[in-house]
Amino acid sequence: MAVLGDSGLPRDQGRRDALHHRERMRRKITEQLRERIGEEDIIAAGPEKRIRVPIKGTRRWQFILDRGLEQGVGGGDGEPGDIIGPAGGQPPGAGEAGLEPGEELYEVWLDMDDVEEMLFSELALPRLKPKQQANAQSTEVVFDDLARQGPRIDKKATLRENLARNARRGRTRLGGIEKPDMRFLSYRERLLPRHKAVIFLAMDVSGSMDAGRKRMARLFFYWCVQFLRRRYDQTEIVFVAHTTEAREVTEEEFFNRAESGGTRVSSAFEVVERIQRERFPAEDWNIYVLHVSDGDNFAADNARALELIERLTPICALVGYLEVDPHAGSWSHPGHKLSRFYEQSAGDLPGFAFAEAEDERELWPALKKFFAKDDVEAAVR
Amino acid sequence: MTAYGLADLQRIDDRCRELAASELGLEAAEVIYHLVGPDEVYFAAANGLPARYSSARWGAQFESDYGRYRAGEGRIYELIFNTRPVHAYLMEGNSLVAQTLVIAHCLGHGYVFETNRWLGAVDREIMPRVISAAERIADYMGAHGRDAVEDFLGACHAIAIHQPQAQLLRRAPTPETEHRPGRYDELFPEEVAAERQRLAHERDALRRRFPREPEQDLLRFIERHARSLEDWQRDVMSIVRSEQSYFLPQLRTKILNEGAAVLAHQEICQRLLLPAGEYWEYEQLNASVVQPHPGQANPYNLGVELLREIMRIATDPDEDERERWRWAGEADPLERVRTVLRDYDDEALLREFLTPKVCERCRLYAFERTAGHARRIRVSTREADTVRDLLVRHHSNFGIPAIEIVDADFRGHGELLLQHRHDGIGLDPEYARGTLVEMATLWGKACTVQTIRGRDTERPVWFTGHPGGQTERHDEAPGSD
Repeated sequence: MAVLGDSGLPRDQGRRDALHHRERMRRKITEQLRERIGEEDIIAAGPEKRIRVPIKGTRRWQFILDRGLEQGVGGGDGEPGDIIGPAGGQPPGAGEAGLEPGEELYEVWLDMDDVEEMLFSELALPRLKPKQQANAQSTEVVFDDLARQGPRIDKKATLRENLARNARRGRTRLGGIEKPDMRFLSYRERLLPRHKAVIFLAMDVSGSMDAGRKRMARLFFYWCVQFLRRRYDQTEIVFVAHTTEAREVTEEEFFNRAESGGTRVSSAFEVVERIQRERFPAEDWNIYVLHVSDGDNFAADNARALELIERLTPICALVGYLEVDPHAGSWSHPGHKLSRFYEQSAGDLPGFAFAEAEDERELWPALKKFFAKDDVEAAVR
Repeated sequence: MTAYGLADLQRIDDRCRELAASELGLEAAEVIYHLVGPDEVYFAAANGLPARYSSARWGAQFESDYGRYRAGEGRIYELIFNTRPVHAYLMEGNSLVAQTLVIAHCLGHGYVFETNRWLGAVDREIMPRVISAAERIADYMGAHGRDAVEDFLGACHAIAIHQPQAQLLRRAPTPETEHRPGRYDELFPEEVAAERQRLAHERDALRRRFPREPEQDLLRFIERHARSLEDWQRDVMSIVRSEQSYFLPQLRTKILNEGAAVLAHQEICQRLLLPAGEYWEYEQLNASVVQPHPGQANPYNLGVELLREIMRIATDPDEDERERWRWAGEADPLERVRTVLRDYDDEALLREFLTPKVCERCRLYAFERTAGHARRIRVSTREADTVRDLLVRHHSNFGIPAIEIVDADFRGHGELLLQHRHDGIGLDPEYARGTLVEMATLWGKACTVQTIRGRDTERPVWFTGHPGGQTERHDEAPGSD
């Protein structure tokens, strides 16, 4: 018999391999998106938009002859001189990107939703603690108890009881299961902890923040806000803008208004501290503070700023500072950049983290530093 | 569509086999047919062999081909593997007429597998090795992480095709290392002494050169001589290399093999005396198999036209053809075809039988790429000599550039130096850089290739790839630093 019905081929291996391929793609895309979070087309794309993402490192390299010079042989219509286009070309970006025969997957179209999902899967609010609040409790049902009666039998526990009862009577085997052996799963209602969090975003909008620096600061906060909204929909966000004076502003103002004037960083922390005391008591809230500036502070104010930070860190899960354009000369007090000052005076202050971003590609590492996922597990326990 | 069962297919196989043997003289190897669903057909097609190791590489192919099948663009009718016994996979849901064509087609393949001298060189007992390799690679993925193994596999595949049988060897002449005595030597004692010394240096350098002879087998060379490889990595390299060597003879005989299969299905189906409706369906299917492809010579069409040209020369040659082939006009046409199927590969077949008549019937043309549009082409000529030269050149090395390792201690740092033995066209710079990086991750140190710039044979250019991913271009020979 030379005709068989069964192939012996693994039935769903093709799909599994395809899945592995997709996972690899996804990882490569994520790696490359990180470097591109500053690019216009990604920022400009709203949540409904799709963006085209070239993927490096997915081509199947081979030594081939110079593609432009290669000649070949084809068949069909056409006189010398005629130009023949690709037969049956697909509209660009139609659905899932596929491979043309002999061509490599090179670009994919992604929904911004997917882009954010990929990026944000690597971030988390650090040291997030369950904070209970009387008016915001919810419960869940957990089956984690045993009872002598109930709707759901626990076979393993029942067999264990039977074994123990037989052993007590000198028989070391299973058998003769009776009512006293029966064990049932029992449930209880458990209070669910709420992870309530507030994050203060404080931005330097003084005159020294030129267009490039402002753009960096806003980009950074844009991704902070996107991340928080997507991952922690219960999180409150407070926007604070400061020059020599600081005040709470709306999100709209925060991202769009420019001001001028000098810089007094401590003013921002004063406002943060006041709002926190009035509206977000530390026993109910996880508190995060992020401040972005170019570091051109009044030198005399640095100590005051640090004093306020030292007061905030014990009640905050994190106080973070990002300096944009850190190597640009400080025209007011050369060498007195805030980053240098923090480095010398607060390098090992617990709960305080600072980062520098020279250009947009360094925003992602900064985000990762502040929203580091690693110590979450340890912190929650 | 008429319902049919395995018994119907068996009957068709028996009948076709009988016709192939009695009417065409094609005694095909036994073929085991499996009737399978599209999932399985596309899985086996993507992997190249059934039961091969699991890899995202095949997954990408599966996803793309299977996706196009589901979108109604293209369909695989049959898959056949040159193993012993031969296994073929028929797609469920095809009409009985389509299955008849496919079974007759497979008998052509079966004959070539059994008799062709190039395909005979293949290890047809490969399946146990393939299965054991799949198990080992799955183990490595468990032990070292799936990604690490996939990356390594990808790097191996980038150069696996560069094996000696894949290329016609074009060796560089060995440099002269002895001073040839001349009649005026005594007049120029100093010059002669200097020349002797220079040659002695060269001899010395040659003695220390490694490899002593340029090495075409890139993967094997690295597997044997790279310093920093782990055992599993060497094993993966040898798996990729040996599976690739199984596919090379098939690449070399693609046109011949498909030609034989089409000839078999055409000749057999003619003799089956199908009822009119079924014959009409057969004709449509046959036409879709042999229609010309823009931008690529259709191997099914070209193959069968070449074989039919041989049959015509055997029975009805013109004067020139009588001159050229001793057997012209006096041979049994099918006997001539069987001889060619046994002894030829694509290059020989094209070189000898791609006549102007065949070019015309296949409507072949030579084309060039248009600047800026990789997928748009300009027809350059329909002249048969040009078309033949191009096709022969492509099939003499499957369009794969000839690359050799010439120095394994390049720049005194244990780097690899490769030489592209060009044919008048240089390597693609982007792809050269990408491939060199893959190669450098295998070798553990930088790899450099010397090629030429475009068509400018006077201007050499060097590309270097580093294990970390950086690449460089050098316009002067990169020296030691």
